[in-house]
Amino acid sequence: MAAADEVPDLARAGRPRIEWLPYLLLAPSLVFLGVFFAYPLVQAFGLSFLRPEGGLTAEHFQRMLGDTYFRGAITNSLLLTAIVVPIQVAIGLVIALLVNSRFRGHLWFLYICAIPLAISDLAAGLIWLSVFTERGYLNTLLHMVGAVREPLTYLSAEQPVWLYGAIIAAEVWRATAIVMIILLAGLQLIPRDYFETADVFGAGGWRKLWHVTLPLLRPSLQTALIIRTILAFQLFATVITLSGRQVPVLAGEAYFWYGLYRNPHVASAYAVLIMGVSVVITWVYLRALRTREEEVAG
Amino acid sequence: MRAPTLMAVVLAAILVVTVPAAQTGPAVEITFTSTQFSPVHETEWARDTLFRAFETETGIRVRFVSELAGPYMDRLQAEARVGRGSIDLTGTLHGDFPILVPAGVARDMAPVQADLARRGDRTFFPDLVRISQVGGIQAYVPWMQATYVIVAHKRAMAYFPRGSNPMAMTYDDLLEWGDAIKSATGTRRIGFPAGPGGLFGRFLHGYIYPSFTGSQVKRFKSPEAVEMWRYLRRLGGVLHPGSFLYSFMHEPLLLGEVWVAWDHTARLLPALRDRPDDFVVLPSPAGPRGRSFLSVIVGLTIPKTAPNAEAAARLIEFLTRPRTQVLTVQGVAFFPTVREAAGAVPTGGMKLLAEAVTAQQGARDARVALLPVGLGVRTGEFVPLYVDTFREISVLGKPIEEVLAAQARKLEELYRAMNAVCPPPDPAITPCRPD
Repeated sequence: MAAADEVPDLARAGRPRIEWLPYLLLAPSLVFLGVFFAYPLVQAFGLSFLRPEGGLTAEHFQRMLGDTYFRGAITNSLLLTAIVVPIQVAIGLVIALLVNSRFRGHLWFLYICAIPLAISDLAAGLIWLSVFTERGYLNTLLHMVGAVREPLTYLSAEQPVWLYGAIIAAEVWRATAIVMIILLAGLQLIPRDYFETADVFGAGGWRKLWHVTLPLLRPSLQTALIIRTILAFQLFATVITLSGRQVPVLAGEAYFWYGLYRNPHVASAYAVLIMGVSVVITWVYLRALRTREEEVAG
Repeated sequence: MRAPTLMAVVLAAILVVTVPAAQTGPAVEITFTSTQFSPVHETEWARDTLFRAFETETGIRVRFVSELAGPYMDRLQAEARVGRGSIDLTGTLHGDFPILVPAGVARDMAPVQADLARRGDRTFFPDLVRISQVGGIQAYVPWMQATYVIVAHKRAMAYFPRGSNPMAMTYDDLLEWGDAIKSATGTRRIGFPAGPGGLFGRFLHGYIYPSFTGSQVKRFKSPEAVEMWRYLRRLGGVLHPGSFLYSFMHEPLLLGEVWVAWDHTARLLPALRDRPDDFVVLPSPAGPRGRSFLSVIVGLTIPKTAPNAEAAARLIEFLTRPRTQVLTVQGVAFFPTVREAAGAVPTGGMKLLAEAVTAQQGARDARVALLPVGLGVRTGEFVPLYVDTFREISVLGKPIEEVLAAQARKLEELYRAMNAVCPPPDPAITPCRPD
């Protein structure tokens, strides 16, 4: 009772009142994340380690490891991530720098580059399928200019370079925009003073990019890399549309084990593996791209 | 006098508002989930033609939800577990009922079946009613049937092996045919739906396996099976490389990518409907041990938790009515389960399909295979076992005997764990076991 009496006293004494508004505004997002991310995450863990009849088991992970697609899936997921993410970051950075240079018509350029943001991965896959399929735009074009007499088949395991190339093209086209938006936001946060100081010391464009822009952009690069890498491991709709199961990927196998084999346990084992790999890579990024105060200051 | 006037006004207002509502009647809506009609053109047909006709007749609106097997089964089982549901009617493959019955989803449909029999306007094929008995109850009312056949472009017929009859094709004919097309045109024009949404697995376990070995499971690694896998490797040389992307063969057929395609009747129909004069329909091929084909049966059941079982029963009556069954075969190429509809003469592309199906069923060497039952929650693992075997042998080129031995162990474990009986044409041994 005494404590209850004290509260208004303290408040009156000038102790800052709890501002509820921010929590209220955060609440919907927290509820959303809790219901659609945290709860399923716990469930997936449970499914991957528990027997249907109860009790812990490693059986689901053993089945995953023994699966005929497993090795291909992990290789392809790693390989696609290693190829796609650097290309996306490089192109995203170039576009962000271009837009940030505010050339005439830069806003139009920005809007056009951002269009793929609004397109789902499945739809992106279908768009690129219409390009690369046997009766697709590419063959039509090649036929028109007389480069081929019979349509070629690109999306087949017999043409691994084309098959991989199509997936990479689709992914780069689809998801570079998100990198660009993050980096553009980062660029706009860099105070003008740094560039003015660099100008005073007579630094040229390249030196400013290398010694001012890129170091100060590091937190945004970190965010972009983490988001894109995690999403690259979740990639599957584009791959399935373009390759079927000829290029198995981890998230695709999780999907097949749930939807086709109807085994939520092995599907969850795949999901937990994807999470594990994502956590490790995120940690590596966080360590490798740590912003060191002295570097910025120096 | 003021009070009665006011009352009159209020009464009049109530009448004005409620009478038109009462005249139109309360809108009844039932939810119908299914694993069938999943291709967009089939879903559209079901909503715009089939269920619209039912709504016009009865005023009952049908909310039709076509789902993937995984979420479909999960939702039904979840509703059964909590004892409260939103699904009034559900329709799926015969092979799913051995899961739905023990899970307490399906109710005994015998009373509904008896009501239908009393109407006297439809006679269900007796063997379908017989196999709809699952786990001691009548698990479903037989709704539709389907099978798989070959559709070929007419220009491909020029390369069909001379001296052979296309309506009695053998697997050797198919290979020779593909070879002839390849050597004449330099392209591979035989296609199978081996993409992620395709039904190639059905070809492996229900068509070619029994045609070569006389069995789906028992002779899985027999010398005849080794011979069959050698054949499939040779056939791989004439298969269109895009086969691994195809889910529905009507698309590559219409595009001209593929000239000869094997698939589910419903997934071939759009090609036949668009250009009936361009294609011929042929029965599936025969192997050394006969012409095996799968008979796919789709059944309707009212979940125990259905909020509106009565309206669901009316929809079952509508769907199994001979006239609706004819409408269904014309619309989406699922064949009737009642004798009165089977006599109806189809037209156009459907006529071609019906003739090939009849030739397949009536062939002297016909051998009916059924989808496996009794694998319970692990039913989904059966087909991928065959597709994975194909991948290891034909795509990755691993030694046939080794792969078959390893896959047979998995098959044996699956059947032993679920204590399931061999699917026909295998003998009824429990648990089934590859020799």
